[in-house]
Amino acid sequence: MKISYNWLKWYIPEAPTAEKLVDIFNYHLCEVETLTPILGEEGVGGGDYVLDLKILPNRAHDLLSHQGLARELASLLNIPYVDPTPKYKIPTSAKATAGKPELKIYVKTSLCRRYMGRIVRNIKVGPSPQWVVDHLESIGQRSINNMVDAANIVMYDCGQPTHVFDLDKVKNEIIIRDAKDGEDLTTLDNKAVKLKNSNVVIADSKNALAIAGIKGGKIAEVGNNTKNIILEVANFDPTSVRKTAQALNIFTDARKRFENDLSPELASYAMLELSALIFEMCPEAVFEDVVDVYPNSQEGGFIRKLSFSTDRISKILGLKVSDKEIEDILKRYVINYVIKENKFEITIPPMRLDLVIEEDMAEEIGRILGYDKVKGNIPKINFKPKQNETYSKITSARNKLLADGYSEVMTYSFCDKGEIEVQNSASDKKFLRTNLTDGLKESIKLNRLNAPFLGIEQVKVFEIGTMFKKSGEEMHVAYGDKKGIKEEKLEEFSEKLEKNSLTFLQPSAGTFRPKNSSPAFRMWSLFPFIARDIAVFVPENVKSSKVLKIIKDNAGDMVVRGPELFDEFKKEGKVSYAFRIVFQSYDRTLTDGEVNEIMNKITDKIKANNGWQAR
Amino acid sequence: MKKETKKATEHPLSILANQAYEAFAEMGFEIGTGPELESDWYNFYVLNFPKDHPALDMQDTFWIKDPKKLVENSSAFLQPSVGTFRGENSQQASSLVLRTHTTTVTARELEKAGKEGRLPAAFISVGKVFRNEATDITHEMQFFQIDGAMVGENISLADLKGVLTNFYKKMLGENTEIEFRPSFFPFTEPSIEVFAKFNGKWLEMMGAGMLHPNVLRNIGLDPSKVQGFAFGGGLDRIAMIKWNIPDVRLFYQGDLRLNQF
Repeated sequence: MKISYNWLKWYIPEAPTAEKLVDIFNYHLCEVETLTPILGEEGVGGGDYVLDLKILPNRAHDLLSHQGLARELASLLNIPYVDPTPKYKIPTSAKATAGKPELKIYVKTSLCRRYMGRIVRNIKVGPSPQWVVDHLESIGQRSINNMVDAANIVMYDCGQPTHVFDLDKVKNEIIIRDAKDGEDLTTLDNKAVKLKNSNVVIADSKNALAIAGIKGGKIAEVGNNTKNIILEVANFDPTSVRKTAQALNIFTDARKRFENDLSPELASYAMLELSALIFEMCPEAVFEDVVDVYPNSQEGGFIRKLSFSTDRISKILGLKVSDKEIEDILKRYVINYVIKENKFEITIPPMRLDLVIEEDMAEEIGRILGYDKVKGNIPKINFKPKQNETYSKITSARNKLLADGYSEVMTYSFCDKGEIEVQNSASDKKFLRTNLTDGLKESIKLNRLNAPFLGIEQVKVFEIGTMFKKSGEEMHVAYGDKKGIKEEKLEEFSEKLEKNSLTFLQPSAGTFRPKNSSPAFRMWSLFPFIARDIAVFVPENVKSSKVLKIIKDNAGDMVVRGPELFDEFKKEGKVSYAFRIVFQSYDRTLTDGEVNEIMNKITDKIKANNGWQAR
Repeated sequence: MKKETKKATEHPLSILANQAYEAFAEMGFEIGTGPELESDWYNFYVLNFPKDHPALDMQDTFWIKDPKKLVENSSAFLQPSVGTFRGENSQQASSLVLRTHTTTVTARELEKAGKEGRLPAAFISVGKVFRNEATDITHEMQFFQIDGAMVGENISLADLKGVLTNFYKKMLGENTEIEFRPSFFPFTEPSIEVFAKFNGKWLEMMGAGMLHPNVLRNIGLDPSKVQGFAFGGGLDRIAMIKWNIPDVRLFYQGDLRLNQF
């Protein structure tokens, strides 16, 4: 989620610099994906920073907003939080406007947990004040008109999505109900959708006006000529919002907030803020009373409590935490508490739906103090590990095949056909492999092309992996070369091993490993290589290393392998050495001509020695 | 002449997996293994993933077509060894997935250890996992995860830090440091993200935390008596960092040019 640093500072004027905030977020709250300075003139959007935060799912109830984050930071850093509420201009309101019907709201589904509506008359749709435009643009949003912007500002400010309908386009009343199967709605962005009975809509007596918590519809859209509006501040069931939006493939900021389960308590604050904002934009506006349908009101009766002990928190974190440290945190976070029988009993703030059990408080205290306080310790436990048979078999099989000269590869578990299919795939390979052989065949083909580069004469490979049949999955061993591939069950392979030899049975720690391990990986060139052989006839007393040096010194910098001595024989007082050199460029395709030139140069140097011949 | 014989080469991920197993074996962990085709129970619900929760978005899952047919056809899906195949609330088989993490193995092994009265216990597993996402140089539909847990009376986040510090020093070198940052996983509380400092840079390595009491309950353990840590992260990622391998997809091409170590 993108947030504006300047916007945050409204509420926490003593906030540290944006750069410092990055570390504070990363170590105490959530990951900062990017920090971007906004260029431009101070006061016209310039001089601000945008932080892109990855709010964790368990804090998406209360942190997907500037106020939420500012409150969190104020508590975390122990700096003042400036409550904006007293500054709001509160419009006076009447039950209804003379001669007009008052707002009627009917909630006909339990998936709507609260619905607050309010009629506002005599508004003027127009451009927004500059600060509204700046705020929206700083977080990548477009200013549309003052009414739509007001609704959006409230959402990014306090986290509660809101909506504005054109009152004169609404027939009689607001009904929150299940959609009818096949019911049509055109969204604000002109997308025609067919609704299902499991979806929830905001409707009037005739039409669906909006998909609840997800997207507004075209019918009651606020336009340039809109005079009277209905403000909606509501709360919907998170699962229902999520399922509906998923089925319709609609992603909106409102959806994101509702599907993370907002507290219905937030609605009244948001209604206050939205009304104040509209009053500020349209001082002539006439406000009617808020109609609040809140079937299971949390006020009064529903108070959540949580008990935890300092000892338990310390035991979970592996860090000695003191009562004083905990009390200090609770005070900073404005969490009411009492101490009962050596335990803290807190009243959970309504917005903190993530705090339920003792372990949640361990996390809360751990992250606030900072996990750097936790010092590492290697535990000694009374546990006698057993040997894992599958692992032992895999290791024995691998060691045996390596010893027999087979190299290990891994290939894909997915393929074009098979017995088990996945429902959806980002790729076109939707089946699980029924054997390892097919993958290994491709591997052999590929590696044979590269044999000169690899410096091997015969490609021998193996894979140990799972294959999938209707009857279940099975671990297989497959190995082979160009002549053929054998594939068998790991069980069978290791049974045979057991019969034939005991050498590979006890893998213990430390497995067969080639010695020449290099410290860093060298990526190969994606251009073709050219392999050349050169045979040199020299007097018997000349060592191969001497010849090799001459070849090497003259082969240039395109050599990716060699020169390697691959053949040697003596004849009539002379010795023949055959070398292979592989040439390849990292940035282009080498031509035969240029490699010929290098080879000619080498041949000339060889021939310059008395009694040496090159072929 | 002594003709140079080319030694057979091992896949880098096997080398690394064995090094990881060695490091954890020294700290008293037992190796665990489990199925790649997994029930949604072990992949999600035993691990405290609520149904229809956005947390499920964190794991793009390959769901298997017609799972009921497969389960009816074969007893193979009713094994392996531990637990029974069941859906949420111990109902009959609901769905099969390609496991999205090997925390499934951790859950199965801990459940079994609890039944056998083998607590405290510690398990480590390296296994193939699957994510349904578009591939690029850092994303692959299949990769290897290293996953582990330790459960006992007093196992804490400090123990997790000690164990993982030791592990990363073995994998990436003695100078490696690690740190914890806040995170969220349904199966751990507290949840943390583990970062390792390699060549002067902090890199995100794995997710971890203390096993959520619901998870302990789901696998038949009593959270008022035992607690423990769990961790899991990509092995491919460690390999890419350790050896500077530029593209995760190179691991699964069957290409021997990869076997350089």
